[in-house]
Amino acid sequence: MIFAVLIPLVLALFVPLLSKLKAKVHTGIFVVFIPLGIFLYFLSFIGSDFKAVRHVYHWIPSLGINFDFYLDGLSLLFVLLISGIGTLVVFYSIYYLHVSENLGHFYVYLLMFMSAMLGVVLSDNVFVLYTFWELTSISSFLLIGFWHHRERSRYGAQKSMLITVFGGLSMLGGLLLLTVITDTTSIRAMIEHVDMILNSQYLPLIMVLILLGAFTKSAQFPFHIWLPDAMEAPTPVSAYLHSATMVKAGIYLVARFSPIFAAYEWFFIVVSIVGLLTLIWASYMAVRQTDLKGILAFSTVSQLGMIMAMLGFGTGPAVFAAVFHILNHATFKGGLFMVAGIIDHETGTRDIRKLGGLLTFMPMSATLALFGTFSMAGVPLPFLNGFYSKEAFFKSAVELNEASGGLASFLTTAIPYLAVFGSIFTFVYSMYFFFGVFTGPKKLTLLPKKPHEAPIGMLLSPIVLVAGVIVIGLFPKLVNGTLLIHAAQAVNSAAEYHKIKFWHGFDEPALIMSLIVVAIGIILFLTIKKWSKIYHVLPGKLSFNKVYDKIIEKTDAYASKITNSYMTGSLKLYMSIILGTIIVATFIIMFMTGGFDINVDDLADVELVDLAVVFIMVLAAVATIFVNNKLALIIITGIVGFGISILFVIFRAPDLALTQLVVETVSMALFLLAYYHLPELRKRNEPLRATTLNTILAVGVGTLITMVGISAHSSDWFDSISDYFVENSYYLGGGHNIVNVILVDMRGLDTLFEITVLGIAALAIYGLIKVRKNKEAE
Amino acid sequence: MEIIILILSGILFATAIYNLLQKQLLRIIIGTVLLSHGAHLVILTMGKLKGGQPPILDDSVTNYTDPLPQALILTSIVISFGITSLLLVLSYRTAKENKTDNMEEMRGESNE
Amino acid sequence: MSNLAILPIIIPMLSGIIVAFTNRNVRLTRILTKFFSLISLAVAAYVTYTVFTDGAIILETGDWAAPYGIIMVADKLSILLILTTNFIATAAAFYAPNSLTMQQERHYFYTFYFLLIAGVSGAFLTGDLFNLFVFFEVLLMASYALIVLGGERVQLRESIKYVLINLFSSMLFVTCVALLYGVVGTVNMAQIAERVAEVDQKGVLTTIGVLLFFVFGTKAALFPLYYWLPRPYIVPNPVVSALFGALLTKVGIYSILRVFSLIFVHKMEITHEAFIWIAGLSMLFGVIGALSTNNIKLIIAYNIIPAIGFIIMGIGVFNVDGLSGSVYYLIHDMIIKSALFLLVGVIAYVAGTSDLRKMKGLIHHYPLLGWLLFIAAFILAGIPPFSGFIGKLLLLRGALSADEIAITIIGLLSSLLILYSVMKIFIRGFWGEKDDSKNYSKKASLGLVLPVVFLLTISVLLGIGAEYIYPSIEGIAEYLLDPQIYIDSVLKE
Repeated sequence: MIFAVLIPLVLALFVPLLSKLKAKVHTGIFVVFIPLGIFLYFLSFIGSDFKAVRHVYHWIPSLGINFDFYLDGLSLLFVLLISGIGTLVVFYSIYYLHVSENLGHFYVYLLMFMSAMLGVVLSDNVFVLYTFWELTSISSFLLIGFWHHRERSRYGAQKSMLITVFGGLSMLGGLLLLTVITDTTSIRAMIEHVDMILNSQYLPLIMVLILLGAFTKSAQFPFHIWLPDAMEAPTPVSAYLHSATMVKAGIYLVARFSPIFAAYEWFFIVVSIVGLLTLIWASYMAVRQTDLKGILAFSTVSQLGMIMAMLGFGTGPAVFAAVFHILNHATFKGGLFMVAGIIDHETGTRDIRKLGGLLTFMPMSATLALFGTFSMAGVPLPFLNGFYSKEAFFKSAVELNEASGGLASFLTTAIPYLAVFGSIFTFVYSMYFFFGVFTGPKKLTLLPKKPHEAPIGMLLSPIVLVAGVIVIGLFPKLVNGTLLIHAAQAVNSAAEYHKIKFWHGFDEPALIMSLIVVAIGIILFLTIKKWSKIYHVLPGKLSFNKVYDKIIEKTDAYASKITNSYMTGSLKLYMSIILGTIIVATFIIMFMTGGFDINVDDLADVELVDLAVVFIMVLAAVATIFVNNKLALIIITGIVGFGISILFVIFRAPDLALTQLVVETVSMALFLLAYYHLPELRKRNEPLRATTLNTILAVGVGTLITMVGISAHSSDWFDSISDYFVENSYYLGGGHNIVNVILVDMRGLDTLFEITVLGIAALAIYGLIKVRKNKEAE
Repeated sequence: MEIIILILSGILFATAIYNLLQKQLLRIIIGTVLLSHGAHLVILTMGKLKGGQPPILDDSVTNYTDPLPQALILTSIVISFGITSLLLVLSYRTAKENKTDNMEEMRGESNE
Repeated sequence: MSNLAILPIIIPMLSGIIVAFTNRNVRLTRILTKFFSLISLAVAAYVTYTVFTDGAIILETGDWAAPYGIIMVADKLSILLILTTNFIATAAAFYAPNSLTMQQERHYFYTFYFLLIAGVSGAFLTGDLFNLFVFFEVLLMASYALIVLGGERVQLRESIKYVLINLFSSMLFVTCVALLYGVVGTVNMAQIAERVAEVDQKGVLTTIGVLLFFVFGTKAALFPLYYWLPRPYIVPNPVVSALFGALLTKVGIYSILRVFSLIFVHKMEITHEAFIWIAGLSMLFGVIGALSTNNIKLIIAYNIIPAIGFIIMGIGVFNVDGLSGSVYYLIHDMIIKSALFLLVGVIAYVAGTSDLRKMKGLIHHYPLLGWLLFIAAFILAGIPPFSGFIGKLLLLRGALSADEIAITIIGLLSSLLILYSVMKIFIRGFWGEKDDSKNYSKKASLGLVLPVVFLLTISVLLGIGAEYIYPSIEGIAEYLLDPQIYIDSVLKE
């Protein structure tokens, strides 16, 4: 099975070569065999006696990350959709995309996506699932941006990436929590440990995080906003990724995790509400659209909402209806997208205001669209599969009566009404799409091209899909017992085999609901002009697109604002922040841990000379702050330095005293050179505030050092390792001067690299001076 | 005595910081010099001050001051010297190229 | 055999000295540099192999027994970091001649480069706190020399800030070493650890520990000490930026990792708990910084900060997952940061600007650069199956098993923003119409691109081949959790 998943990815590497070698032959002709082969492979699993299959390939076993492919009914439904529609889409694209396009890239992305999507629906391992999940986002990003010279494509691509990767990352958070709680990376093992999850304090968080992943991917309200903008992708891509497969990954995820959350009431509440809200909102929005693909995009969103809601209901019949609709939606929506692509291709526009009366020019496309839209609308006709699943949706909505009370029980009463309400708009936009394009007055002058029917090759793929609509409608048995029931049972083991019937009798509430939808839908559609005002007023400022745009705009703006507020390039500010942090934090820690300690027992005696030296040094140090003459400043600093040498003498450190003396003298010479080049000191006329702050920081650091120093000195718990040096300096080191022996022998490495430091400094200085000379020479 | 020296190094640190927070390059560099003086005094104090004779072996002496801090200071003095020299040349070149010795005028533009 | 431990320091150091004498003959210097860098890499690989098969190498320099002499400790952690350093150094050695001006090469670039590597290796290896200070100075001094190389106005302006901040933290460092010596009477890290444990890290020690944390934190560019970092990192040549971005801050964070897993581990409720907060703030402010600018080099420079945040988060969590995540992420980030700095260097070079607003449609001219950036962005953001993901996975798992929910969410969110900040370059700079107004005559030569490809390949392998690496990293984490192993192996008790 790993081959089926990875073959597209591996072969994708060869596609660019292929497209270069055979520039005259359409690359798609070679590519189409890949999904076809996969489709046939998976088709062999189908049957009423289907049993789940598992294949494991090790990847990073020590982290529990393995290719653990598990093909159950749900996965089978999805892999068939992915490979089946994939075949049709690639075939369709051969006619849709001209050879002059960058086909190499196109098919690489498409194959990459195919692998990714197959991986998502087959992986039982959560991290592999996540890997493939992000790969679908990435390939979708690249496909939306395929025509990246268009501003809208770039916008749409970035938007889809940000929203879906956001969702992906939050899903990762949820998956991580699940693995930490259950100590397994396998979804099936998690389902076995479901009580551990249900008893966890993190249950609500896990659910929210995972649902965020699902909702963003499946474009649920309010994350649906990326999908309409994703329509900038070439139409085959829209038909494939953004209608039939990728956007159903979220649905898949919810279905896959349903067994875990089924017992959690909030799962029912959240998923049902979000699903229904999406259904209503998006179907309402679809009616407003003028772009054919825009209508289809919102319609996809709303249909996804409907499926999501059914998964939220979670009952056996609801789950069955959900998987049934997944299949049906893929057939009619895929077909409709391809028809929209044909119209665009043959007329040069997708703007419904410019289209009309195309029936006579494109009879074949019109027929296909007729079946597609009517199936989508759920018109009660026995040869439309959309009707069956729509009715099953109503039926499951009515039969919800399990909730015990509170919000959930209110919801169960409200759901049937909401379902009907949302479906009315579905009906309206379906009619709007079909009649707006194919009937009514012809507006040929508005069209960039003279319309004509598409070539048969281009029509073939939608014909196959629409044939699917009819065949499933007429003979639901073909898929029911062989595929759907297995899929439904993988989600909810309580799902039972039902015969799918067209006629249930007049007392069936679902039928009445369907009829209400049709009746009100017809009225609304006929009076659509009168309502147009409302359609155009709402949502206005409520649009979540505007929210998204604002967030992006503000993110950049606030980021700049915040960053520029402190990243001013001012050394003083940087130093002040660093110092302030050090002072505050260290003092806090010192007092928290009782770090201050003073012990005056074992101190050296103080002589007058010492005091005098110290006093002079203090005076000189303080004076450095106040002098405004650079020569004076340098000399005063020199006094401090020589004072240090004297202290070294007093404290029995002759080597130090000598070194310090030499270094100080050379430094003075250097300073005097700098004195010659650097400008005179200016009087400081800083505001009092700045001076105060400087003083506080200075005194703070000084106090800190003194206090920590005293504490360190007072904490005399251990013998120093120095005794060893005193004892062994002569016997092992062969020298009387202990400090020297330490420097050249015991700690010779320090000295070696101290010299290295000096060497680097010398070379750097040489470079600096040399550069100046060169510059002056120029 | 140790406490007095530690207070002295505290004062050296304080004056160093005050100078570091100034605008003019020369003052800032003086700040770094004072900083290293302060640090060296701290190191020295961490051995016992006047704890004995200079650490040069002599048969008549049994008690020496702690030699290790002295060795460390020596290393540190040399390194500080290297840095100070580099800093001086660097600041001279910087002042020349940027035509100012005021650090606050050397903030730079955003997005440069 | 224990002398092996010093080779990663000595080879670059000697190489640096040798190329200092050949600086007049640039062509020879280049060849020598490439040659030496490969030797150094090979030796590092060999030492790594030895350490992984025979255990840590403890070298008592000059044969002075611990804790009296300076000890070099080549354990799995330090040697892995050295190996990573050498990979980066090799890439840099091959990139440098194509990127530097002749004058920069003549002015001892290669010497400084080798000594920087020597300093970094030394900092990773040493088991002596004062010696760590010395190696810090070596690598800092080399970095000062590298950052001013070329002597442009902007460069000098930013360098002086860089030098001053680092000088301050170095002085604080040496003061801290002294203070610690005052309390425990030793500078040998193993012995310090032992003695700190003996008195249960009394208050004064925690205080000194915190000061030391600030020293390393300033070098590592942690919140709120990182302000000095972004600008100075973008002014020098890209190859210098890459070395800085990959190595300097990482030495700082390595020191925190070492010191706060070996020595200051007895008051974790204070120190390590604070790390988690600092981690969160570093991530947030880092990505905010990365989003704030249109300068592509600056975008990468800001991205150093959240990465450091991720690493310190693992140290703060302090369990096997957290620490192995930190180590994994550390190695990953060294490689990807250097790759990115080198890459944006090429991009800025061919585009003639580093201002994103002045770029568009570069992919029509430089498809390879575009796709390299694309992959690098995903590696950086931790998207699987690349190396960033493994590190992030471990870190987040560690945080979650320690019930640190908030930091996990911040980590996830900042991953998104990191991705956005770098993808911006791809979307705005590479996508778009072909820009015919500009003359894209500059070539992204193989010499510039191959080092990037080399580093990115390592990064990809680190992710896909995690099975071969992770067990060793986990071993390191377990080793870090038990400081006694280190102490015993050094003090031979």
